Amino acid sequence: MGMTITEKICARAAGKDRVRPGDMIDAEVDKLYIKDLRFSKAEDPKGLYGVFKEVLKDMGITKAWDPEKVIINFDEQPARSTRRLEGQERAKEFSNEHGATLYEGYQGGIGHNVMVEKGHVRPGEFIVGADSHSCTYGALSCFATGIGFTETVGVLATGRIWLKVPPAIYVELAGRRPPWIWGKDIVLRIMAEMGANGAVNKTLEYGGSAVADVSVESRLSMCNMAVESLALNAVFPPDERAIEYVKQVGNTAFTPVASDADAEYESRLRFDLTDMEPFVAAPGVPSNGQPVHEVIGTKINQAFIGTCSNSRIEDLRVAAKILKGKTVHPGVRMIVTPASYGAYFQAREEGLLQIFEKSKVLLTASECGICTRPSLATGEVCISSGNRNFPGRMGNRDARIFLGSPATVAASALAGEIVDPREFLPA
Amino acid sequence: MKKHFKGKVWKFGDCIDSGNIKGVMAGVDPEFHTKVQPGDVIVAGINFGMGSSAEDAPRSLRNAGIAAVLAESISNIYLRTLINLGLPAIECVGVSTFVDEGQEIEVDLESGTVRNLKDGTSRTFPPFSDQAIVILEKGGLIPYLKSSFASPSAGHDKNLPLWRSE
Repeated sequence: MGMTITEKICARAAGKDRVRPGDMIDAEVDKLYIKDLRFSKAEDPKGLYGVFKEVLKDMGITKAWDPEKVIINFDEQPARSTRRLEGQERAKEFSNEHGATLYEGYQGGIGHNVMVEKGHVRPGEFIVGADSHSCTYGALSCFATGIGFTETVGVLATGRIWLKVPPAIYVELAGRRPPWIWGKDIVLRIMAEMGANGAVNKTLEYGGSAVADVSVESRLSMCNMAVESLALNAVFPPDERAIEYVKQVGNTAFTPVASDADAEYESRLRFDLTDMEPFVAAPGVPSNGQPVHEVIGTKINQAFIGTCSNSRIEDLRVAAKILKGKTVHPGVRMIVTPASYGAYFQAREEGLLQIFEKSKVLLTASECGICTRPSLATGEVCISSGNRNFPGRMGNRDARIFLGSPATVAASALAGEIVDPREFLPA
Repeated sequence: MKKHFKGKVWKFGDCIDSGNIKGVMAGVDPEFHTKVQPGDVIVAGINFGMGSSAEDAPRSLRNAGIAAVLAESISNIYLRTLINLGLPAIECVGVSTFVDEGQEIEVDLESGTVRNLKDGTSRTFPPFSDQAIVILEKGGLIPYLKSSFASPSAGHDKNLPLWRSE
Protein backbone atom coordinates (compact mmCIF):
# COMPACT_ATOMS: atom_id res chain seq x y z
CA MET A 1 0.00 0.00 0.00
CA GLY A 2 1.36 3.41 -0.98
CA MET A 3 1.54 6.63 0.97
CA THR A 4 0.02 10.10 0.62
CA ILE A 5 2.17 13.26 0.24
CA THR A 6 1.57 14.04 3.90
CA GLU A 7 2.56 10.54 5.05
CA LYS A 8 5.71 10.62 2.92
CA ILE A 9 6.82 13.99 4.27
CA CYS A 10 6.01 12.95 7.86
CA ALA A 11 7.92 9.68 7.42
CA ARG A 12 10.97 11.46 6.05
CA ALA A 13 10.87 14.04 8.87
CA ALA A 14 10.55 11.28 11.47
CA GLY A 15 13.41 9.25 9.94
CA LYS A 16 11.13 6.33 9.09
CA ASP A 17 10.50 4.33 5.94
CA ARG A 18 6.78 4.64 6.33
CA VAL A 19 4.15 5.97 8.68
CA ARG A 20 0.43 5.27 9.01
CA PRO A 21 -2.42 7.55 10.10
CA GLY A 22 -2.58 7.60 13.88
CA ASP A 23 1.17 7.04 14.36
CA MET A 24 2.65 9.40 16.92
CA ILE A 25 5.78 10.82 15.34
CA ASP A 26 8.69 12.88 16.51
CA ALA A 27 9.51 14.92 13.43
CA GLU A 28 12.47 17.02 12.48
CA VAL A 29 11.32 20.44 11.34
CA ASP A 30 12.62 21.99 8.09
CA LYS A 31 11.31 25.50 8.71
CA LEU A 32 9.82 27.38 11.64
CA TYR A 33 7.79 30.56 11.11
CA ILE A 34 7.23 32.87 14.11
CA LYS A 35 5.05 36.00 14.17
CA ASP A 36 6.04 39.05 16.21
CA LEU A 37 3.18 38.69 18.68
CA ARG A 38 4.61 35.39 19.89
CA PHE A 39 7.63 37.29 21.24
CA SER A 40 5.38 39.59 23.30
CA LYS A 41 4.20 38.97 26.84
CA ALA A 42 0.68 38.16 25.67
CA GLU A 43 0.95 34.46 26.39
CA ASP A 44 3.70 34.23 29.00
CA PRO A 45 5.07 36.98 31.24
CA LYS A 46 8.61 35.99 30.29
CA GLY A 47 7.86 36.11 26.57
CA LEU A 48 9.02 33.54 24.01
CA TYR A 49 12.64 34.59 24.15
CA GLY A 50 12.64 34.63 27.96
CA VAL A 51 11.21 31.11 28.23
CA PHE A 52 13.54 29.90 25.46
CA LYS A 53 16.63 31.31 27.20
CA GLU A 54 15.57 29.65 30.43
CA VAL A 55 15.11 26.29 28.70
CA LEU A 56 18.52 26.54 26.99
CA LYS A 57 20.17 27.41 30.29
CA ASP A 58 18.62 24.44 32.04
CA MET A 59 19.57 22.22 29.10
CA GLY A 60 23.14 23.47 29.30
CA ILE A 61 23.31 24.78 25.69
CA THR A 62 23.63 28.30 24.34
CA LYS A 63 22.38 28.21 20.75
CA ALA A 64 19.03 27.57 19.16
CA TRP A 65 18.67 24.43 17.12
CA ASP A 66 19.15 25.88 13.68
CA PRO A 67 18.46 29.61 13.40
CA GLU A 68 18.81 29.53 9.62
CA LYS A 69 15.54 27.65 9.54
CA VAL A 70 13.74 30.25 11.65
CA ILE A 71 11.82 33.06 9.90
CA ILE A 72 10.22 35.91 11.83
CA ASN A 73 7.77 38.53 10.52
CA PHE A 74 6.18 41.65 11.98
CA ASP A 75 2.45 41.22 11.36
CA GLU A 76 1.47 44.67 12.66
CA GLN A 77 3.34 47.76 11.45
CA PRO A 78 3.47 50.19 13.10
CA ALA A 79 2.91 48.38 16.40
CA ARG A 80 -0.24 49.73 18.02
CA SER A 81 0.41 48.55 21.56
CA THR A 82 3.43 48.64 23.80
CA ARG A 83 2.97 44.89 24.19
CA ARG A 84 3.36 44.32 20.45
CA LEU A 85 6.24 46.78 20.24
CA GLU A 86 8.00 45.04 23.09
CA GLY A 87 7.52 41.72 21.27
CA GLN A 88 9.05 43.19 18.11
CA GLU A 89 12.06 44.41 20.10
CA ARG A 90 12.58 40.93 21.61
CA ALA A 91 12.18 39.37 18.17
CA LYS A 92 14.94 41.63 16.81
CA GLU A 93 17.13 40.80 19.77
CA PHE A 94 16.55 37.07 19.19
CA SER A 95 17.25 37.41 15.49
CA ASN A 96 20.48 39.35 16.11
CA GLU A 97 21.74 36.95 18.73
CA HIS A 98 20.79 33.73 16.98
CA GLY A 99 20.91 34.70 13.32
CA ALA A 100 17.27 34.07 12.37
CA THR A 101 15.78 35.79 9.29
CA LEU A 102 13.50 38.69 10.16
CA TYR A 103 11.15 40.62 7.86
CA GLU A 104 9.96 44.10 8.77
CA GLY A 105 9.20 47.38 7.06
CA TYR A 106 8.71 47.21 3.30
CA GLN A 107 10.25 43.72 3.21
CA GLY A 108 7.28 42.41 5.17
CA GLY A 109 3.50 42.38 5.25
CA ILE A 110 1.39 39.48 6.48
CA GLY A 111 3.81 36.75 7.54
CA HIS A 112 2.26 33.84 5.66
CA ASN A 113 2.41 35.71 2.36
CA VAL A 114 5.94 36.88 3.06
CA MET A 115 7.00 33.27 3.73
CA VAL A 116 5.71 32.22 0.32
CA GLU A 117 6.88 35.25 -1.69
CA LYS A 118 10.37 35.24 -0.20
CA GLY A 119 10.87 31.62 -1.17
CA HIS A 120 10.86 30.04 2.29
CA VAL A 121 8.20 27.48 1.33
CA ARG A 122 9.36 24.57 -0.82
CA PRO A 123 7.66 21.37 -1.98
CA GLY A 124 8.38 18.34 0.19
CA GLU A 125 9.30 20.32 3.31
CA PHE A 126 7.99 19.80 6.86
CA ILE A 127 7.06 23.30 8.03
CA VAL A 128 5.51 24.49 11.29
CA GLY A 129 4.49 28.03 12.12
CA ALA A 130 3.65 29.81 15.34
CA ASP A 131 0.30 30.94 13.97
CA SER A 132 -2.76 28.84 13.21
CA HIS A 133 -2.86 29.82 9.52
CA SER A 134 0.57 28.34 8.80
CA CYS A 135 -1.37 25.58 7.01
CA THR A 136 -1.46 28.05 4.07
CA TYR A 137 1.90 26.79 2.77
CA GLY A 138 0.47 23.38 1.79
CA ALA A 139 -0.53 25.04 -1.49
CA LEU A 140 3.10 24.53 -2.52
CA SER A 141 3.05 20.78 -1.82
CA CYS A 142 4.67 20.77 1.60
CA PHE A 143 3.42 19.61 4.99
CA ALA A 144 2.55 22.73 6.98
CA THR A 145 0.61 23.26 10.19
CA GLY A 146 0.21 25.80 12.97
CA ILE A 147 1.66 25.32 16.45
CA GLY A 148 1.32 26.98 19.86
CA PHE A 149 3.66 29.01 22.04
CA THR A 150 4.98 26.11 24.11
CA GLU A 151 5.55 24.00 21.00
CA THR A 152 7.47 26.89 19.45
CA VAL A 153 9.86 26.90 22.40
CA GLY A 154 10.23 23.15 21.99
CA VAL A 155 11.06 23.45 18.26
CA LEU A 156 13.53 26.28 18.90
CA ALA A 157 15.30 24.18 21.50
CA THR A 158 15.28 20.79 19.80
CA GLY A 159 14.26 21.25 16.15
CA ARG A 160 11.60 18.62 16.70
CA ILE A 161 7.89 18.34 17.34
CA TRP A 162 5.50 15.55 18.28
CA LEU A 163 2.25 15.05 16.44
CA LYS A 164 -0.09 12.37 15.20
CA VAL A 165 0.04 11.42 11.49
CA PRO A 166 -3.37 12.46 10.13
CA PRO A 167 -5.71 10.34 8.02
CA ALA A 168 -6.36 11.97 4.65
CA ILE A 169 -9.51 13.02 2.83
CA TYR A 170 -9.03 13.13 -0.93
CA VAL A 171 -10.85 16.12 -2.40
CA GLU A 172 -11.27 15.76 -6.14
CA LEU A 173 -11.87 18.94 -8.13
CA ALA A 174 -13.55 18.00 -11.41
CA GLY A 175 -15.08 19.74 -14.40
CA ARG A 176 -14.13 23.23 -15.54
CA ARG A 177 -13.61 26.20 -13.23
CA PRO A 178 -15.77 29.11 -14.41
CA PRO A 179 -13.89 32.45 -14.60
CA TRP A 180 -15.94 33.92 -11.72
CA ILE A 181 -14.93 31.21 -9.27
CA TRP A 182 -11.85 31.52 -7.05
CA GLY A 183 -10.29 29.46 -4.30
CA LYS A 184 -12.41 31.04 -1.59
CA ASP A 185 -15.67 30.05 -3.34
CA ILE A 186 -14.45 26.49 -3.80
CA VAL A 187 -13.21 26.03 -0.26
CA LEU A 188 -16.35 27.52 1.31
CA ARG A 189 -18.43 25.05 -0.71
CA ILE A 190 -16.21 22.13 0.35
CA MET A 191 -16.34 23.17 4.01
CA ALA A 192 -20.12 23.51 3.93
CA GLU A 193 -20.40 20.03 2.43
CA MET A 194 -18.05 18.49 5.03
CA GLY A 195 -19.79 20.24 7.95
CA ALA A 196 -18.20 21.86 10.97
CA ASN A 197 -16.77 18.57 12.20
CA GLY A 198 -15.87 17.03 8.85
CA ALA A 199 -12.11 17.21 8.77
CA VAL A 200 -10.99 17.49 12.41
CA ASN A 201 -7.27 16.70 12.68
CA LYS A 202 -7.18 15.23 9.17
CA THR A 203 -5.39 16.11 5.94
CA LEU A 204 -7.29 17.64 3.05
CA GLU A 205 -5.49 16.52 -0.09
CA TYR A 206 -6.59 18.24 -3.29
CA GLY A 207 -6.41 16.56 -6.67
CA GLY A 208 -8.36 15.99 -9.86
CA SER A 209 -8.46 17.35 -13.38
CA ALA A 210 -9.62 20.86 -12.39
CA VAL A 211 -6.64 21.48 -10.08
CA ALA A 212 -4.46 22.55 -13.00
CA ASP A 213 -6.83 25.47 -13.55
CA VAL A 214 -6.68 26.68 -9.92
CA SER A 215 -4.07 29.44 -9.50
CA VAL A 216 -1.41 29.28 -6.81
CA GLU A 217 -3.04 32.30 -5.12
CA SER A 218 -6.35 30.44 -5.01
CA ARG A 219 -4.61 27.32 -3.68
CA LEU A 220 -3.01 29.39 -0.91
CA SER A 221 -6.45 30.71 0.00
CA MET A 222 -7.90 27.18 0.07
CA CYS A 223 -5.08 25.79 2.22
CA ASN A 224 -5.32 28.85 4.48
CA MET A 225 -8.89 27.78 5.31
CA ALA A 226 -7.81 24.24 6.28
CA VAL A 227 -7.56 25.21 9.93
CA GLU A 228 -11.11 26.57 9.73
CA SER A 229 -12.34 23.07 8.92
CA LEU A 230 -10.08 21.96 11.80
CA ALA A 231 -7.88 19.96 9.45
CA LEU A 232 -4.27 19.48 10.56
CA ASN A 233 -3.06 20.42 7.08
CA ALA A 234 -4.08 20.73 3.47
CA VAL A 235 -1.95 20.01 0.44
CA PHE A 236 -1.96 20.42 -3.33
CA PRO A 237 0.03 18.17 -5.69
CA PRO A 238 3.41 19.42 -6.94
CA ASP A 239 2.18 20.03 -10.48
CA GLU A 240 3.72 22.28 -13.12
CA ARG A 241 1.95 25.38 -11.82
CA ALA A 242 3.25 24.88 -8.26
CA ILE A 243 6.81 24.10 -9.35
CA GLU A 244 6.86 27.08 -11.73
CA TYR A 245 5.77 29.37 -8.87
CA VAL A 246 8.36 28.01 -6.44
CA LYS A 247 11.13 28.53 -9.02
CA GLN A 248 9.88 32.01 -9.82
CA VAL A 249 10.34 33.10 -6.19
CA GLY A 250 13.94 32.00 -6.31
CA ASN A 251 14.06 28.37 -5.23
CA THR A 252 16.26 25.86 -6.97
CA ALA A 253 16.96 23.10 -4.45
CA PHE A 254 13.89 21.12 -3.44
CA THR A 255 12.55 17.61 -3.77
CA PRO A 256 8.86 17.45 -4.69
CA VAL A 257 6.89 14.58 -3.21
CA ALA A 258 3.69 13.20 -4.75
CA SER A 259 1.11 10.75 -3.42
CA ASP A 260 1.37 7.17 -4.64
CA ALA A 261 -1.35 5.93 -6.98
CA ASP A 262 -2.32 3.34 -4.36
CA ALA A 263 -2.19 5.72 -1.38
CA GLU A 264 -4.93 5.08 1.14
CA TYR A 265 -7.55 7.74 1.89
CA GLU A 266 -10.04 7.66 4.71
CA SER A 267 -12.68 9.08 2.40
CA ARG A 268 -13.08 10.74 -0.99
CA LEU A 269 -15.12 13.77 -1.94
CA ARG A 270 -15.79 15.05 -5.44
CA PHE A 271 -16.73 18.57 -6.46
CA ASP A 272 -17.62 19.49 -10.02
CA LEU A 273 -16.72 23.15 -10.55
CA THR A 274 -18.59 23.47 -13.86
CA ASP A 275 -21.25 26.22 -13.63
CA MET A 276 -20.57 26.58 -9.91
CA GLU A 277 -22.23 29.51 -8.15
CA PRO A 278 -20.13 31.90 -5.99
CA PHE A 279 -20.20 30.91 -2.30
CA VAL A 280 -20.55 32.98 0.87
CA ALA A 281 -20.25 31.86 4.52
CA ALA A 282 -22.94 33.21 6.84
CA PRO A 283 -21.91 34.55 10.28
CA GLY A 284 -20.87 32.12 13.03
CA VAL A 285 -18.43 29.59 11.64
CA PRO A 286 -16.66 29.46 8.26
CA SER A 287 -18.42 26.18 7.45
CA ASN A 288 -21.74 28.11 7.18
CA GLY A 289 -21.22 28.32 3.43
CA GLN A 290 -24.10 28.71 1.00
CA PRO A 291 -24.57 29.71 -2.63
CA VAL A 292 -24.57 33.49 -2.82
CA HIS A 293 -28.24 33.71 -3.94
CA GLU A 294 -29.28 32.59 -0.43
CA VAL A 295 -27.97 35.81 1.13
CA ILE A 296 -28.37 38.30 -1.71
CA GLY A 297 -29.77 41.62 -0.50
CA THR A 298 -28.22 41.50 2.99
CA LYS A 299 -27.29 45.14 3.75
CA ILE A 300 -23.65 45.70 4.64
CA ASN A 301 -21.76 48.43 6.51
CA GLN A 302 -18.23 47.29 5.81
CA ALA A 303 -16.44 45.45 2.99
CA PHE A 304 -12.95 44.18 3.69
CA ILE A 305 -10.34 42.71 1.37
CA GLY A 306 -7.39 41.67 3.45
CA THR A 307 -5.88 38.91 5.65
CA CYS A 308 -3.60 35.95 4.95
CA SER A 309 -6.62 34.32 3.30
CA ASN A 310 -7.34 36.65 0.35
CA SER A 311 -5.48 39.88 -0.35
CA ARG A 312 -2.84 38.72 -2.82
CA ILE A 313 -2.21 40.25 -6.21
CA GLU A 314 -4.84 38.04 -7.89
CA ASP A 315 -7.38 39.33 -5.35
CA LEU A 316 -6.39 42.98 -5.80
CA ARG A 317 -6.64 42.59 -9.58
CA VAL A 318 -10.16 41.22 -9.55
CA ALA A 319 -11.31 43.83 -7.01
CA ALA A 320 -9.88 46.63 -9.17
CA LYS A 321 -11.53 45.15 -12.25
CA ILE A 322 -14.93 45.31 -10.55
CA LEU A 323 -14.39 48.73 -8.96
CA LYS A 324 -12.86 50.49 -11.96
CA GLY A 325 -14.78 53.66 -12.86
CA LYS A 326 -17.33 53.13 -10.07
CA THR A 327 -17.67 54.38 -6.49
CA VAL A 328 -18.24 52.38 -3.32
CA HIS A 329 -21.80 52.71 -1.97
CA PRO A 330 -22.04 55.72 0.38
CA GLY A 331 -23.26 53.52 3.24
CA VAL A 332 -20.23 51.22 3.06
CA ARG A 333 -16.68 51.50 4.37
CA MET A 334 -14.51 49.51 2.01
CA ILE A 335 -11.05 48.68 3.28
CA VAL A 336 -8.27 47.04 1.27
CA THR A 337 -5.19 45.72 3.08
CA PRO A 338 -2.70 44.10 0.67
CA ALA A 339 -1.18 40.74 1.62
CA SER A 340 2.39 42.00 1.60
CA TYR A 341 4.41 44.97 0.44
CA GLY A 342 5.34 42.78 -2.52
CA ALA A 343 1.66 42.68 -3.51
CA TYR A 344 1.24 46.36 -2.59
CA PHE A 345 4.04 47.58 -4.87
CA GLN A 346 2.98 45.23 -7.64
CA ALA A 347 -0.55 46.65 -7.43
CA ARG A 348 0.88 50.17 -7.57
CA GLU A 349 2.84 49.30 -10.68
CA GLU A 350 -0.26 47.90 -12.35
CA GLY A 351 -2.27 51.03 -11.51
CA LEU A 352 -4.63 49.19 -9.17
CA LEU A 353 -4.07 51.52 -6.21
CA GLN A 354 -5.23 54.50 -8.26
CA ILE A 355 -8.42 52.61 -9.11
CA PHE A 356 -9.03 51.96 -5.40
CA GLU A 357 -8.41 55.61 -4.63
CA LYS A 358 -10.88 56.83 -7.26
CA SER A 359 -13.49 54.32 -6.06
CA LYS A 360 -13.19 55.72 -2.51
CA VAL A 361 -11.66 52.58 -1.07
CA LEU A 362 -9.60 53.05 2.07
CA LEU A 363 -6.20 51.53 1.35
CA THR A 364 -4.10 50.55 4.37
CA ALA A 365 -0.58 49.42 5.06
CA SER A 366 0.10 45.71 4.57
CA GLU A 367 -0.50 43.88 7.84
CA CYS A 368 -3.05 41.64 9.58
CA GLY A 369 -5.09 44.79 10.17
CA ILE A 370 -8.76 44.62 11.06
CA CYS A 371 -8.95 40.82 10.76
CA THR A 372 -8.46 40.79 14.53
CA ARG A 373 -8.77 44.43 15.50
CA PRO A 374 -12.08 46.06 16.45
CA SER A 375 -13.68 47.71 13.43
CA LEU A 376 -17.40 46.95 13.68
CA ALA A 377 -20.10 48.72 15.70
CA THR A 378 -22.98 46.89 17.37
CA GLY A 379 -25.44 45.56 14.81
CA GLU A 380 -23.15 46.19 11.85
CA VAL A 381 -22.60 43.73 9.02
CA CYS A 382 -19.29 43.11 7.26
CA ILE A 383 -18.45 41.09 4.20
CA SER A 384 -14.84 40.00 4.38
CA SER A 385 -12.38 38.08 2.24
CA GLY A 386 -10.84 36.82 5.49
CA ASN A 387 -11.01 33.42 7.10
CA ARG A 388 -12.93 33.84 10.37
CA ASN A 389 -16.49 34.95 11.05
CA PHE A 390 -16.74 33.86 14.69
CA PRO A 391 -18.84 36.02 17.02
CA GLY A 392 -16.62 38.88 18.17
CA ARG A 393 -13.86 38.18 15.64
CA MET A 394 -13.65 41.80 14.49
CA GLY A 395 -14.08 43.16 17.99
CA ASN A 396 -17.84 43.11 18.53
CA ARG A 397 -19.94 40.05 19.40
CA ASP A 398 -23.05 41.88 18.23
CA ALA A 399 -21.78 42.46 14.72
CA ARG A 400 -22.11 39.93 11.89
CA ILE A 401 -19.38 38.80 9.49
CA PHE A 402 -19.97 37.13 6.11
CA LEU A 403 -17.06 35.58 4.21
CA GLY A 404 -16.69 35.63 0.45
CA SER A 405 -14.25 35.94 -2.42
CA PRO A 406 -12.66 39.33 -3.15
CA ALA A 407 -14.97 39.58 -6.19
CA THR A 408 -18.05 39.15 -3.99
CA VAL A 409 -16.67 41.66 -1.47
CA ALA A 410 -15.90 44.30 -4.11
CA ALA A 411 -19.23 43.90 -5.91
CA SER A 412 -21.15 44.03 -2.61
CA ALA A 413 -19.27 47.20 -1.64
CA LEU A 414 -20.60 48.90 -4.79
CA ALA A 415 -24.16 47.75 -4.17
CA GLY A 416 -24.31 48.34 -0.41
CA GLU A 417 -25.63 44.82 0.01
CA ILE A 418 -24.48 41.29 -0.72
CA VAL A 419 -24.73 40.62 -4.45
CA ASP A 420 -23.78 38.00 -6.98
CA PRO A 421 -20.42 39.24 -8.35
CA ARG A 422 -21.12 37.77 -11.78
CA GLU A 423 -23.34 40.74 -12.58
CA PHE A 424 -20.48 43.13 -11.79
CA LEU A 425 -17.64 41.41 -13.62
CA PRO A 426 -16.78 43.14 -16.89
CA ALA A 427 -16.84 40.72 -19.81
CA MET B 1 -1.16 15.43 37.09
CA LYS B 2 -2.64 12.08 37.93
CA LYS B 3 -3.27 9.32 35.41
CA HIS B 4 -6.48 8.51 37.18
CA PHE B 5 -8.73 11.17 38.63
CA LYS B 6 -12.28 12.28 39.41
CA GLY B 7 -13.82 15.65 38.74
CA LYS B 8 -17.05 17.61 38.69
CA VAL B 9 -18.37 18.33 35.21
CA TRP B 10 -19.02 21.73 33.61
CA LYS B 11 -20.64 21.40 30.21
CA PHE B 12 -20.17 23.55 27.11
CA GLY B 13 -21.52 23.32 23.57
CA ASP B 14 -20.12 22.86 20.07
CA CYS B 15 -17.59 24.96 18.15
CA ILE B 16 -16.24 27.10 20.98
CA ASP B 17 -13.25 28.97 19.54
CA SER B 18 -10.19 29.87 21.54
CA GLY B 19 -11.12 33.57 21.51
CA ASN B 20 -14.20 32.71 23.57
CA ILE B 21 -12.26 30.31 25.85
CA LYS B 22 -9.80 33.06 26.74
CA GLY B 23 -10.15 34.27 30.35
CA VAL B 24 -11.57 30.92 31.60
CA MET B 25 -14.44 30.58 29.09
CA ALA B 26 -15.25 34.29 29.50
CA GLY B 27 -16.71 34.62 26.00
CA VAL B 28 -19.35 31.97 26.79
CA ASP B 29 -19.89 32.60 30.51
CA PRO B 30 -18.23 35.69 31.99
CA GLU B 31 -18.96 34.38 35.53
CA PHE B 32 -17.50 30.92 34.97
CA HIS B 33 -14.20 31.77 36.63
CA THR B 34 -16.05 32.46 39.90
CA LYS B 35 -17.90 29.12 39.80
CA VAL B 36 -15.23 26.65 38.72
CA GLN B 37 -13.14 24.89 41.37
CA PRO B 38 -9.68 23.35 41.02
CA GLY B 39 -10.08 19.71 39.98
CA ASP B 40 -13.25 20.31 37.97
CA VAL B 41 -13.39 19.08 34.37
CA ILE B 42 -14.78 20.61 31.18
CA VAL B 43 -16.95 18.50 28.89
CA ALA B 44 -17.71 20.00 25.47
CA GLY B 45 -19.07 19.12 22.05
CA ILE B 46 -17.33 19.16 18.70
CA ASN B 47 -14.44 21.41 17.61
CA PHE B 48 -13.41 22.63 21.06
CA GLY B 49 -10.60 25.20 20.85
CA MET B 50 -10.93 25.95 17.16
CA GLY B 51 -9.47 29.16 15.77
CA SER B 52 -6.47 31.11 17.01
CA SER B 53 -3.42 29.30 18.35
CA ALA B 54 -2.90 31.97 21.03
CA GLU B 55 -1.96 30.16 24.20
CA ASP B 56 -3.64 32.55 26.63
CA ALA B 57 -6.87 30.56 26.18
CA PRO B 58 -5.57 27.10 27.23
CA ARG B 59 -3.35 28.66 29.88
CA SER B 60 -6.36 30.32 31.49
CA LEU B 61 -7.98 26.88 31.91
CA ARG B 62 -4.79 25.42 33.37
CA ASN B 63 -4.38 28.37 35.73
CA ALA B 64 -7.97 27.98 36.91
CA GLY B 65 -7.09 24.45 38.03
CA ILE B 66 -9.19 22.58 35.44
CA ALA B 67 -8.13 18.92 35.70
CA ALA B 68 -8.99 17.86 32.16
CA VAL B 69 -10.84 18.85 29.00
CA LEU B 70 -13.00 16.18 27.37
CA ALA B 71 -14.77 16.88 24.09
CA GLU B 72 -16.26 15.11 21.09
CA SER B 73 -13.39 16.63 19.09
CA ILE B 74 -10.63 19.12 19.84
CA SER B 75 -8.61 21.28 17.43
CA ASN B 76 -5.16 19.80 16.90
CA ILE B 77 -3.20 22.86 18.06
CA TYR B 78 -5.40 23.12 21.12
CA LEU B 79 -5.08 19.42 21.94
CA ARG B 80 -1.29 19.37 21.70
CA THR B 81 -1.00 22.68 23.56
CA LEU B 82 -3.11 21.50 26.49
CA ILE B 83 -0.96 18.37 26.84
CA ASN B 84 2.19 20.47 26.43
CA LEU B 85 0.89 22.63 29.28
CA GLY B 86 0.39 19.54 31.44
CA LEU B 87 -3.38 19.35 31.11
CA PRO B 88 -5.00 16.19 29.67
CA ALA B 89 -7.04 16.95 26.54
CA ILE B 90 -9.22 14.00 25.60
CA GLU B 91 -11.19 13.42 22.43
CA CYS B 92 -13.97 11.01 23.35
CA VAL B 93 -16.95 10.25 21.15
CA GLY B 94 -20.20 10.34 23.12
CA VAL B 95 -18.77 12.22 26.10
CA SER B 96 -20.97 15.27 25.60
CA THR B 97 -24.21 13.30 25.95
CA PHE B 98 -23.51 10.70 28.64
CA VAL B 99 -23.05 13.06 31.57
CA ASP B 100 -24.93 16.10 32.91
CA GLU B 101 -23.48 19.27 34.33
CA GLY B 102 -22.66 18.96 38.03
CA GLN B 103 -22.25 15.18 37.94
CA GLU B 104 -18.90 13.60 38.72
CA ILE B 105 -16.82 11.59 36.27
CA GLU B 106 -13.81 9.37 36.74
CA VAL B 107 -11.08 9.39 34.08
CA ASP B 108 -8.33 6.82 33.50
CA LEU B 109 -5.78 7.94 30.90
CA GLU B 110 -3.95 4.60 30.76
CA SER B 111 -6.96 2.45 30.03
CA GLY B 112 -8.75 5.20 28.08
CA THR B 113 -12.04 5.19 29.97
CA VAL B 114 -14.30 7.82 31.41
CA ARG B 115 -17.06 6.76 33.81
CA ASN B 116 -20.15 8.62 34.98
CA LEU B 117 -20.12 8.11 38.78
CA LYS B 118 -23.84 8.89 39.04
CA ASP B 119 -25.12 6.08 36.82
CA GLY B 120 -22.00 3.97 36.22
CA THR B 121 -22.08 4.26 32.42
CA SER B 122 -18.79 4.77 30.63
CA ARG B 123 -17.20 5.84 27.35
CA THR B 124 -13.79 4.96 25.92
CA PHE B 125 -11.04 6.90 24.13
CA PRO B 126 -7.61 5.92 22.72
CA PRO B 127 -5.38 5.41 25.79
CA PHE B 128 -2.57 7.93 26.29
CA SER B 129 0.88 6.66 25.33
CA ASP B 130 3.66 6.43 27.91
CA GLN B 131 5.38 9.47 26.47
CA ALA B 132 2.25 11.61 26.65
CA ILE B 133 1.85 10.56 30.25
CA VAL B 134 5.51 11.43 30.99
CA ILE B 135 5.01 14.94 29.55
CA LEU B 136 1.81 15.35 31.58
CA GLU B 137 3.48 14.05 34.75
CA LYS B 138 6.36 16.50 34.36
CA GLY B 139 3.80 19.31 34.16
CA GLY B 140 4.14 19.92 30.44
CA LEU B 141 6.63 20.07 27.59
CA ILE B 142 8.90 22.78 29.01
CA PRO B 143 9.50 21.17 32.42
CA TYR B 144 9.90 17.89 30.51
CA LEU B 145 12.53 19.38 28.19
CA LYS B 146 14.38 20.98 31.07
CA SER B 147 14.51 17.84 33.17
CA SER B 148 15.16 15.32 30.44
CA PHE B 149 17.91 17.29 28.74
CA ALA B 150 19.54 18.44 31.96
CA SER B 151 19.93 15.03 33.51
CA PRO B 152 22.38 12.77 31.68
CA SER B 153 20.93 9.78 33.52
CA ALA B 154 17.72 10.31 31.60
CA GLY B 155 19.77 9.32 28.58
CA HIS B 156 18.59 12.20 26.42
CA ASP B 157 20.73 14.06 24.01
CA LYS B 158 19.85 16.65 21.42
CA ASN B 159 18.84 14.07 18.86
CA LEU B 160 16.73 11.86 21.01
CA PRO B 161 13.04 11.83 20.20
CA LEU B 162 10.63 13.70 22.38
CA TRP B 163 8.07 11.13 21.57
CA ARG B 164 8.60 7.48 20.84
CA SER B 165 6.11 5.56 18.82
CA GLU B 166 6.91 1.89 19.28
